[in-house]
Amino acid sequence: MNPVLRVRPSGGPGGPLLDVRSGPFLLRDLVADPSLGRHRHRAGPLARPSLHGLVEDLAGADVRGRGGAGFPFATKLRTAAEAGRRREVVVNVSEGEPASFKDAALALTRPHLVLDGAALCARALGTRRVHVVLPGDRPGVAAALRRAVAERVQDGERLRWRLHTTDPGFVAGQGRAVIELLSGRPNLPVTAWAPEARAGYRGRPTLLSNAETFAHVALLLGAGSASYRTSGTADEPGSRLLTIGGESGRPVVVEATHGTPWRDLLDEPVLDRPVLVGGYHGTWAAPGALRDLTLSRTGMAAAGLTLGAGVVLPLAAGDCPVHRTAAVTAYLAGQSAGRCGPCRNGLPALTDGVRALDEGVDVSARVGELTRTVTGRGACAHPDGTARMVRSMLALFGEELDAHAAGDCTYRHADALPGPRSRR
Amino acid sequence: MTARLRVDWPACQGRGLCFEVLPELISLDEWGYPVVEGEVPRELLGLAREAARTCPTLALRVVDAP
Repeated sequence: MNPVLRVRPSGGPGGPLLDVRSGPFLLRDLVADPSLGRHRHRAGPLARPSLHGLVEDLAGADVRGRGGAGFPFATKLRTAAEAGRRREVVVNVSEGEPASFKDAALALTRPHLVLDGAALCARALGTRRVHVVLPGDRPGVAAALRRAVAERVQDGERLRWRLHTTDPGFVAGQGRAVIELLSGRPNLPVTAWAPEARAGYRGRPTLLSNAETFAHVALLLGAGSASYRTSGTADEPGSRLLTIGGESGRPVVVEATHGTPWRDLLDEPVLDRPVLVGGYHGTWAAPGALRDLTLSRTGMAAAGLTLGAGVVLPLAAGDCPVHRTAAVTAYLAGQSAGRCGPCRNGLPALTDGVRALDEGVDVSARVGELTRTVTGRGACAHPDGTARMVRSMLALFGEELDAHAAGDCTYRHADALPGPRSRR
Repeated sequence: MTARLRVDWPACQGRGLCFEVLPELISLDEWGYPVVEGEVPRELLGLAREAARTCPTLALRVVDAP
């Protein structure tokens, strides 16, 4: 059992706690000292990579964005470099997804690893402008990064750090919404006519990525990079962070190298329950489906699953995937910015549909049609992600839907059996 | 390069004028918002541009796509 560090993303006393388990690279030797001095002692001085060298390194290690989309980071960096001068770097630490805590964990335990990655990219791009986007609804995380940036300024690092704080809400952390925030406009998604790397903040080439992505950049160039590059699998070197939702309500953030079997990551009873993989915009895994899979983008994709931002939500005993899908859909409908017609109208209709399914009304054809209607028809991927999650429920739990239509629910039924694990 | 229709969704108010100009490529969903076929064939390019000009919120664009 790896040592666990307990942190508080909300800051202040009394807020919910988060467990962060020590891991091989990003979360190696966790100590309750996130200071710059301690970090430099471990990680060594900051490298000064050439643009070409950094692009080669990133492509060689197949580093991909860890915000959810999984876009190759080398391509993003090269695009930003080729799109023109006056480049900007943006570190997005605002996890919009409320079930995700991996970037919070990094900010609270290894903030300088994240900031090193951004500084390295800024050096390679020949810019001094780095923006850090802080989560408005996690004051503890924001404070940790403010302290870390202040330390670097004090230390004489010649970068112009700009800090921004998002509004609460699911879509506020979306890429374009973040660019809007930087530009002084409402923190909401707008239509992107070109990728941020070509035309982002003020129309400038903008290298925008998730906090974890930048931390991987720092690992790739820092002390111990050789073991990082040879870890994981041949196709996917290195590691990734996961937030695993806990039955106790306290999530745990873990780091695992690619290729790790899910059997080693999840407890035995959880493997036999439905698991929502990839978070609220993710896909359902059938009971037992993860048993023979490993943590790998390609392997998961072959099984119809996406890791997204690495959120893993196993159902509690006696919880029904149809019921849970209805609750998550209702939540997501409430998180729509309400500016795009198909999302504003479609997600409430989808909520009604999934709720009816849960209540035993067979409207699965209508629900399937609604998932197609909303997909690809918004400024951001919020409707697409919501539709994907609902579609995976329809695809996997047909028998359960039949049971609901017959006025039954096998999950609650199973839970009602006498036994020590019975909860209701 | 092929021409495609793209909707600026936050700008679109579902007035439906695009559908009236270009029913060949545009239909309306149950709430009156356009469902556009991506690719614009050469012979409909003129009408597609007119549909974009007609939109009262300038939410429809004809863009080049690879």
